[in-house]
Amino acid sequence: MKFFTAFRKKSPWILHYNAGSCNGCDIEILAALGPKFDLERFGVINTGNPKQSDIFLVTGPVTYRSRERLVELYSQIPEPKVVIAVGSCTATGGVFRGMYNVEDGIDQYIPVDVYVPGCASTPQLIIDAIVKALEILETKSKEIEKPFKLFGAIAMVGNKLSRLNMATRVKHDEI
Amino acid sequence: MIWVWIALAPILGGLVYGGERVLRARMQRRQGPPVLQPFYDMFKLLDKRTLIVHAPHALLGVAHFFVLWFTVAAIFLGWNLLYIVFLHLFAQMLLILAGYSVRSAYSHLGANRELLMLIAYEPILILVAVGFYLQSGSFDIAQIVRGGGYLVQMPLLFVALAMIVPIKVKKSPFDVGEAHQEIVGGVEIEYSGLFYEFLYMSRFLEYIFIYSFVFIFAGVSYGLGAALVAGVFLLVNLVDNATARVRTMHMVKIIYAVALSLSIVNIMWIVL
Ligand code: SF4
Repeated sequence: MKFFTAFRKKSPWILHYNAGSCNGCDIEILAALGPKFDLERFGVINTGNPKQSDIFLVTGPVTYRSRERLVELYSQIPEPKVVIAVGSCTATGGVFRGMYNVEDGIDQYIPVDVYVPGCASTPQLIIDAIVKALEILETKSKEIEKPFKLFGAIAMVGNKLSRLNMATRVKHDEI
Repeated sequence: MIWVWIALAPILGGLVYGGERVLRARMQRRQGPPVLQPFYDMFKLLDKRTLIVHAPHALLGVAHFFVLWFTVAAIFLGWNLLYIVFLHLFAQMLLILAGYSVRSAYSHLGANRELLMLIAYEPILILVAVGFYLQSGSFDIAQIVRGGGYLVQMPLLFVALAMIVPIKVKKSPFDVGEAHQEIVGGVEIEYSGLFYEFLYMSRFLEYIFIYSFVFIFAGVSYGLGAALVAGVFLLVNLVDNATARVRTMHMVKIIYAVALSLSIVNIMWIVL
């Protein structure tokens, strides 16, 4: 409904996922949530639960171990949702680019709305990115958004949508 | 008039919750969210796509909220204190059943912890009710608030009650039921959108439920009641900011060792 859309940007709940980062950017995210930068004054809560969050904050180049979880978590967030890629390695692979066990950026797997540069990126940049993401969140609809890869069918059970098989596992010969 | 208050109870609780978030932020030298933040959250949740695991699970959450609302209404109407404690028990049971009804391991863990919390605080609530009965000769709240001097006669019961307040409002050191860092919210984990909203609102009602127990300790003097509630509210938030979470079994042991013995000593002292 139109009336409630205005409140999306007043209460963004964050899901933070580490897709194999060096932890540098995760510490910056925690700093942004902590007393000094105090992201909570915008109504941000770090929920840790995909089913109740709006913003997906990802750090790290996608490693082979984490890609299924990344897609699974992304499909579990109810729409409208936005994805923020925090740190250079999340955007391009950064210092990990071309290594044998990484996938050079999360946009190979899920659509990204805001990229945050920097290795490590700063809390100020992360706050900027969240403010930008909220603008995007306001324009989004409740249409289902799909991951690019590792994506199963959207099935109908009765007249209800089932998300059970939206994320599929990596087959062994693909590795 | 009283019906208006009953209808507004969730909104009242929401204001308390919003105020508490600001207070806790200020204690940490932060600015904190606006006081109306819980309502912004609720409006936003209405605008999300709702994912349902299965219908009974969603329905149990809604039923939990409405039974809790009924409990709060019973408090406002001045009904029997024992009925109120057991109505609240019924509401908690619905929530625990909801937790067990899905296959998520975290949900089961949360339901287990919710049960242990129930085991910890339920005897204290009942003993507090018994204390009120011994003092005023009636279990009816309407009767109890006409008396006075409870604080003088049952100070240990008041301490015991203050100890279980953090369990009920999910604050450290006894926030084992929610424990976002280990079990991601426990029984709430599988709820989303519209149905999570009901659980979110039942948290507001829990505030009113437990703090009204604190309030009736003042008896006839409403000013003292408000002071007691404010004092316990401040104390709980101070302790929340200053302590870490204890383990579930430790929580039960601490409550039984300290709060339960304090209450029993107090009851014996009144009787003898
Ligand atoms: S961008 Fe740099 S600091 Fe941030 S997670 Fe990647 S490697 Fe670490």
